[in-house]
Amino acid sequence: MKYLVQFIAYFAFAAIVGLLSVWPRYQLLAPDQAIISLTISHAGQRVGECRRLTQEELNELAPNMRKPVDCPRERHSIGVEFRADGAVLYQEILPPSGLWADGKATVYQRLQIDAGSHNLFIGMNDSGSGGGFDYDMTTVRDILPGQNLVIDFDELQQAFVFR
Amino acid sequence: MSSATHGAKLLSFLQKAGRSGFSLLRRSLALGFSNQDSPLNHLGALTIYFCWIVLISGIWLLIFFRTSVSGAFESVEYLTREQWYVGGIMRSLHRYASDAAIVTILLHVINEFSRDTYRLKRWFSWVTGMPLIWMIFPLGITGYWLVWDELAQYVAITSAELLDRIPVFTDSMAANFLSDVSLSDRFFTLMAFLHLIGLPLFLVFGIWLHVFRLSKPNINPPRALMGGTLICMLVLSLVFPADSQSKADLAMAPQTIELDWFYLHAYPLVQMWSPGWVWALLLGLSALVVLAPWLPPAKALPAAKVDLDNCNGCRRCADDCPFEAIRMAPRSDGQAYELEAVVDSDLCTSCGLCVGACPTSTPFRSRSALIPGIDLPDRSAAMLRESINRTANKLSGENRIIVFACSRSDARTELLKAGQAVVDVRCMGQLPPSFADYVLSRDLADGVLLAGCRSGDCKYRYGMRWAEQRISRQRDPRLRKRVNNQRIACGWQQHWSTRGSVLKMLGAFQADLEAQRAEARWRPDTVGTEESAS
Repeated sequence: MKYLVQFIAYFAFAAIVGLLSVWPRYQLLAPDQAIISLTISHAGQRVGECRRLTQEELNELAPNMRKPVDCPRERHSIGVEFRADGAVLYQEILPPSGLWADGKATVYQRLQIDAGSHNLFIGMNDSGSGGGFDYDMTTVRDILPGQNLVIDFDELQQAFVFR
Repeated sequence: MSSATHGAKLLSFLQKAGRSGFSLLRRSLALGFSNQDSPLNHLGALTIYFCWIVLISGIWLLIFFRTSVSGAFESVEYLTREQWYVGGIMRSLHRYASDAAIVTILLHVINEFSRDTYRLKRWFSWVTGMPLIWMIFPLGITGYWLVWDELAQYVAITSAELLDRIPVFTDSMAANFLSDVSLSDRFFTLMAFLHLIGLPLFLVFGIWLHVFRLSKPNINPPRALMGGTLICMLVLSLVFPADSQSKADLAMAPQTIELDWFYLHAYPLVQMWSPGWVWALLLGLSALVVLAPWLPPAKALPAAKVDLDNCNGCRRCADDCPFEAIRMAPRSDGQAYELEAVVDSDLCTSCGLCVGACPTSTPFRSRSALIPGIDLPDRSAAMLRESINRTANKLSGENRIIVFACSRSDARTELLKAGQAVVDVRCMGQLPPSFADYVLSRDLADGVLLAGCRSGDCKYRYGMRWAEQRISRQRDPRLRKRVNNQRIACGWQQHWSTRGSVLKMLGAFQADLEAQRAEARWRPDTVGTEESAS
């Protein structure tokens, strides 16, 4: 009796440990779905124009601080919009990072989408102007089930990249 | 009704529910395990034991593990398939012992909560347990990360999404896991460092801190339990070996994964809610647990007090204190003894185990007042003697029994409900053996029943163990040899306390006394010495 109870106790413990370490399976994505990863890290344009200092203003500064052009640090928020087949899947105004609002604005978003052919649009406004996008791209993509399609912004090319 | 009253009621309900659950489990396990080997009496020690298994199996895995994007998965596959007879078993042991540690941690927390051993002066061990939980989860999570299969990919991305929510990173960490190109071998080196050195070092320090205020902490389970558990883990590893899922491919998103629910139960919430809400939930729950000792606030009992006129510095109280609350210091009153006991009132839980250990705590003193070297101000030895005399006066007939009961025990509630007079002690360890001697040699009763808490349920860790050892003359102060200890019954001995009711126990003891009377002889033997673990 004693050993039977011990066996049952150890068996139950092992069963709980073994079972919950893999079961139940977790479904992340339906079989006919895919992921679009929107990942942009971009600094908006400066809020104010750079201004050349007058000679009088330069004279007031310490010799080692005499920079001829004064540029404000603050940057605009960036506006990002992503559409698939005309439907808006993501739309956000992203503030710049940093204590002085002079850093990059960042977006990382994973969006689920049905696999298949889609007309995709991505647009970004970084100048603070109310209407329109400073950068945009429209493309038709055939997305496979389970695919992870990444949309990035290439800072060198100043253009969106789908990969 | 005030919110504090509601809080107290809720707390009482939850603790009662926890105690009932554990009582049921304890009773079932008692059919197969002795008191000493019962897993429920060694939950903390079992967790540490599982950590040992994880460490030893982890060292084997480390020898063959390659810390690179391309090498990580292949090296784990090699261990699992080519070297299944050692590496595969070690990998499975590594996983299952980690999972088992979560089970024992959870049970340990529920057990301590339901026994109310986390409040007042004992908050320290409870609060220092929370960082341990916060360390053990990243330890497990980084372990899954290192395999670099589909589960690792999911863990990496979701962990990064969680970390991105902390407002200190400017760039998104999760963006590093969008293509194999952006992933560097150095990242695996960092993960391996965290998993193998960084977090384990903190964990060891955390465990030391966790038991810092406990005297004689129970950090090793009994050998039988260690052996049984290891065999159990080995069989599980052989029958159901741990396996990897498909190799991580960042161009694809995993569709279904086998999730380890012990470590990753919160991860699906990141997709269902958002990282911010998951942080709020985890931090909120943690804060609630950390603040639990003060929710609602409880009033502390007065600490034990030393009376230097009666203290000879024998240090028995310091040896028996379960909470390191008594230290021996050089004599301050000019008496001819070397040391004196000093109580740290911040650590003293007022359990009275020191009173039970004090040789001057004897009820036979009649010339002077009963003031032992150390005593509880609110439940003194003199009060205890008075209570014995009062209870004895109510007894009549044959087989009279004086029952001592721990003030928080289920036995006491049951006895009082049945109209049985009991002498209250805070903990059974508070009772010096000379008090049982007093009852029997003064013929105040024919038998003494020590109806403590249920086995393994001692709120003050060593109360029942010390009482039992003193009665069986194995520990100072010992029961005098002139006392027939067959007339003293320890109620927490397994066959009574785990499966039967205390009233049945009382009836059985009365029948036993009757049988002894019929034989007209008292057997000069010792009571059982089975120890009840803390």
